[in-house]
Amino acid sequence: MAGNSGGLLATNSAGRHKDPVVAAAVLALWLLLALFVVYPLAMLFARMLTDHGTFTTAGIATILTDRHQVRAFWNSLLLASLVGITGTALGFLFAFTAARGRLPRALLTIVDASVLLPLVSPPFTTAIAMIFSFGPRGLITYDVLGMKGVTVYGLASTLCSEALTYFPIAYLTLRPILAAIDSNIEGMAFSLGASRWRVFRTVTLPLAVPGLANAFLLLFAASLADFATPLILAGNQFPVLPTQAYLQITGLFDLRGGAALSFVLLVPALVVFLLQRYWVSRRFYVTITGKGAGQTPFDSISPVVRNVLLAACATVAVVVVYFYALLLYASLVMALGANHTFTLQHYRVIFTDGAQAIRDTLIIAGFAMPLGGLYGVLLGYLVTKKTFAGRRTMELVSMINYALPGTIVGIAYLIAFNDPPLELTGTALIIIACYIFRYGPTGIRATVALLQQIDKSLEEASQGLGAGSTTTFRRVTLPLILPAFFAGLGVVFIRSMTAISATIFLVSIGWTLITVRILENITELSLGPAAAFSVLVVVIVFVVIAAIGRVLRLFRAPGAVPMTSLLGG
Amino acid sequence: MTAVATESIGVAVDGVSKRYAHRVKGEIYAARDVVLNVRPGEFLTLLGPSGCGKTTTLRMIAGYEMPDAGRIRFGGQDVTGQPANQRNIGFVFQNYALFPHLSIFENVAYGLRVRGLPADEVRSRVGEVLALVGLAGYEQQFSGQLSGGEQQRVALARAIVIRPRVLLFDEPLSNLDAKLRVQMRHEIRDLQRRLAITTVYVTHDQEEAMAVSDRIAVMNEGSVVQEGTAEDLYHRPASQFVAQFVGRVNLVAGRVAETAGEAVKIEALGVVVGARSLRKGLGRGDTVVLVVRPEAIAMAPGAGAPGSLQATVLSRTFLGEKIEYLLRCAGETLQVVRYDAGPGEVFAEGASVEVSFAADAVTVLPDAAAHGKPDA
Repeated sequence: MAGNSGGLLATNSAGRHKDPVVAAAVLALWLLLALFVVYPLAMLFARMLTDHGTFTTAGIATILTDRHQVRAFWNSLLLASLVGITGTALGFLFAFTAARGRLPRALLTIVDASVLLPLVSPPFTTAIAMIFSFGPRGLITYDVLGMKGVTVYGLASTLCSEALTYFPIAYLTLRPILAAIDSNIEGMAFSLGASRWRVFRTVTLPLAVPGLANAFLLLFAASLADFATPLILAGNQFPVLPTQAYLQITGLFDLRGGAALSFVLLVPALVVFLLQRYWVSRRFYVTITGKGAGQTPFDSISPVVRNVLLAACATVAVVVVYFYALLLYASLVMALGANHTFTLQHYRVIFTDGAQAIRDTLIIAGFAMPLGGLYGVLLGYLVTKKTFAGRRTMELVSMINYALPGTIVGIAYLIAFNDPPLELTGTALIIIACYIFRYGPTGIRATVALLQQIDKSLEEASQGLGAGSTTTFRRVTLPLILPAFFAGLGVVFIRSMTAISATIFLVSIGWTLITVRILENITELSLGPAAAFSVLVVVIVFVVIAAIGRVLRLFRAPGAVPMTSLLGG
Repeated sequence: MTAVATESIGVAVDGVSKRYAHRVKGEIYAARDVVLNVRPGEFLTLLGPSGCGKTTTLRMIAGYEMPDAGRIRFGGQDVTGQPANQRNIGFVFQNYALFPHLSIFENVAYGLRVRGLPADEVRSRVGEVLALVGLAGYEQQFSGQLSGGEQQRVALARAIVIRPRVLLFDEPLSNLDAKLRVQMRHEIRDLQRRLAITTVYVTHDQEEAMAVSDRIAVMNEGSVVQEGTAEDLYHRPASQFVAQFVGRVNLVAGRVAETAGEAVKIEALGVVVGARSLRKGLGRGDTVVLVVRPEAIAMAPGAGAPGSLQATVLSRTFLGEKIEYLLRCAGETLQVVRYDAGPGEVFAEGASVEVSFAADAVTVLPDAAAHGKPDA
């Protein structure tokens, strides 16, 4: 064989399916996707539509005719819509102030930090703080206002808690969009005689509409999937679908009913996902053309309005910070609302009784993190840079577990891996797999986005300078996608620490999670340890984010997506 | 032409300054004591390199930025404190700043709707002005569907449809390709003449400035360094900066040998050449710089008479309607451009030639290096 290595590598770079390494990787990924994405979902449908091997729609019919469940369905939609509207409004307020308020750097950092806090916390930290503040013995309702016998549970507090938890997603979606609106366009409208308010109404706002729609849909989906907040705050007067599905399974041991409920949840979730991906994303305006505004962009808000906006943002930020300060405080006193003596007892409890949960969570996160990061980069690289049959399908399938509400994924895994041949229930593997395939897609998206930014000419330039394709991959492509790898890694870790909606169905005596323990603590009304656990998670996550931020800065990749932006959507 | 009719007014920029805090240099002046008088209906161009303050000055005239000192007047009325939306100006941005969510019709109609005009008047005026810029029939398109030149015309239409008192352009042609740029600058010039709107235009392209302007103000480091017609600037530059920025030039060091009114004799390149001086107070022995345009240098074959200027051809570049030479002459390099040279003209590389300057084409400037030193 006169086979020169150059010829072999050239085939490699052209991405033909002949490459055995690529073919093997594609096959392996398809197997994994089939096993951990397609198979569980298929089993979910099968369980819902069969009864001891015969086809039946009885399960779904029971749900659709049960007035309680129908109410849960409409409640879910109502809650999601309200969270979508409120959260988008809050996010827009922050994004607009950040993009147009000419804030000094220090102030921007504070805004970003207060927005980051809810994003990296376990999903029900604001819910706990709500109970601490507005519960029957709440700091505000009882101690400050002296009200007796108030109930915190219901739509209002659930909405408030979810809006505060999820508005950062809207902020992260809207800020780049507002920042990208060329301020010359606003300046132009202004010079044509329009007042600032009219400029905002007729130019800025219409240009932000696709972003607003996108933010609304993301929040709608987040609220629809949220399981922990309503479980704690909604109470029995306001049932919603994810909690109903949970109770159906853990309370009544009715897997089929749970499957049917989660299917009902799937329909709006899927509609929202498709709307967001295929309708809204095509409606963005390109407003950057040629030279943008000079060193001094147009002042689109007057000083008075700027101060009003700043005050509004400050108020929200103060509420967020107050909630977290309260959480920290609650973790350090005997019993908030009753006995405010300083103590480290709650921390002692979580490091003794809770030690297993902490150890398990860290082990699971420790395995899920590198595997999830690798999975994201590999799949992202293959679908963008290589040509093989079913490339688009692979990308779409990989997004399924990410797009579905966690409750559905959790129930599907529970059904699929409960029996032989694939009996994984009770192992750590089932939780790790769930995290990899549910949160790895963030890494896929980051990789695809980065690779699309890398112009073909960059790799061609390297080859033109005499580098072979392996050298090109090693010296050009790889360094450019490393930021995506670390970003994907970070997201998988953070979510492994904070997620609950899917994995609550997958924990066992052998393997449990901090978030599950927090939930148990809350239901047992031992709020001190719950607060201490939450503080611990926030601290761990912040440390890891800071570490990954450092690593990302080391690479100083121009296209690197900031860590926080990946936590949205 | 009903789309037009506003009476022209003048624009006075009176000692305007704008300061910025710079991270390294501390406080810097983006514009320093700028004085401009734009006559009613006049087309004035601010010309200068990037960072010279021309755009800042324009944005202050527009009302996008407020000067730290000085006044701005439109036709005698002080508008210094007025924001842009009350000044009744038309502004054309380099990137056109078309509203991407509005149709072409709605883009152009925007300013009219702001002014609360009735729908049928909006329709007729937008129609008229779109016809004027050659875009009739484009009403329902969106900016993304238009070519660069078409977008430029929409931006122009949108600026003039409101019958602005002043039309302002911020490097409007720099996003277009070379051919379109030449075409568009004629269109802008024609339109401005027809509408007789007082216009201030910013560019860094001296050829564009000369092509469109009635008068040009050359700016450097925040100040206006010379103001005049294109001919003034080209033939009578007041400083080396203007001489170098407007057109190509040879700068030759020399010393005053003899003065007689405006005409002077200068020792340069080892010979004595005649020139004219724009500066009073130049005396015998002063060091000066001669400004000689490449086309003002005559070349003749062979060795000349004693006292004439000898040079060697370093390179010859044939460019169609002209030939460019680089000559070595008394240790200096001279650029020479010869038009209409005819097919017979061959000054080969390495050939010896005799060169001469036409006295009235040579401008004498004080030596900038010596300038400011006491009695250099």
